[in-house]
Amino acid sequence: MSSRERILDAAMDRIARDGIDGVRIARIAMDAGVSTGLVHYHFATREALLAEALEHSFELAGDVRIGDAALTPGERRLRTMVEQCLPLPGAQERDWVLWVELWLRAVRHPELRPTAARLYARMHEWFQGAIEDGVRTGEFAACDASAVADRTLALLDGFGVRALLGDPSMPLERMREEVWAVLAADLGVAPEAAAEYVP
Amino acid sequence: MSPRPTLAHVRRPAILAAAAAVISERGLAATRISDVADRAGTSAPGVLYWFETKDQLLAEALTFADDRFYASLTRELARLPTATARLERLVALWPSEGDVETALWMELWVRALHDPDLNATRERLDRRWREQIAAIVREGQALGEFGPAEPDEVALVLGALMDGFAIQIALGDPAVEPARVQEHCMALARAQLDGSEDRRVA
Repeated sequence: MSSRERILDAAMDRIARDGIDGVRIARIAMDAGVSTGLVHYHFATREALLAEALEHSFELAGDVRIGDAALTPGERRLRTMVEQCLPLPGAQERDWVLWVELWLRAVRHPELRPTAARLYARMHEWFQGAIEDGVRTGEFAACDASAVADRTLALLDGFGVRALLGDPSMPLERMREEVWAVLAADLGVAPEAAAEYVP
Repeated sequence: MSPRPTLAHVRRPAILAAAAAVISERGLAATRISDVADRAGTSAPGVLYWFETKDQLLAEALTFADDRFYASLTRELARLPTATARLERLVALWPSEGDVETALWMELWVRALHDPDLNATRERLDRRWREQIAAIVREGQALGEFGPAEPDEVALVLGALMDGFAIQIALGDPAVEPARVQEHCMALARAQLDGSEDRRVA
């Protein structure tokens, strides 16, 4: 792992734990086993560090995502995608904390908005592609794949932030079930199997 | 007991309105108590008399902004003859007028990750939001406009969808147009409320 990657890895952990405002550059340097100067050399500002950490995290997850695409049929693939978007304990929960930090930071610092827009565009492309593939093979009913992807992303954010914060209205199982119920209705597949899903 | 500052002329709502505006513009981290005091036309001790910490100020400012949002919403909705029109109005008002509110909500989410008291405030305000949507659904069902869906369930899904789009609008994402967002929300509402088994949104 390069020193840059070690810094990003340490940054993701620290930001998720302490928040972007509370994070200390010296602490990230210590975790990564590098000098504070090197962290500053790679990342001039907190915004740059957050943006890069998120892009990095998305790239890491992306390796897994691309691996799935060619092999699995539409419904299974889409269920796996929804699963990868839940704030499950561990790496996905950590990504979610960074995601929520990004929202707030990007509202305050317009230079982060292109990063946010790019991440959303990739998520959109990812979902739209899977839906279109399923329509092409006849597994899903004909639909406006782009519109379905729009709604799915909005639902994932709206449910996800509540699930992340432990809201009693939205435990993880419920989030999985509700997102799939809306998707399943659009795609003309059975909604009830969500509970039986094994990733 | 500490000596009571002279603040008969400074009303608590004025401080809360100032706090909501300043925090929404700058963010809580960059907001100083003196900034809120300046905006409210008082002194920092005048603010600190009412609110001991910035987190407390955030929780109360958001509650205040929320109260104000519902007061104006209630007036608007009361003028409309049908539940469908009320739901449309709610959907139209939320992300557009919600810009100040969305930024405050984001502050609350980030802080609530590390602060159980703020998370409890967040949960209370969120429940109120869902109850508002569910109330319109119940009115529509009583008036025969909507089918027999579970109102709390519709509120849960529609509320989350609206919040998700509000986030993207607040981020200034050029791919997200407010008019399109309203269509999405109403399409989902219709799919849930038309009373048929078919829940397809499109």
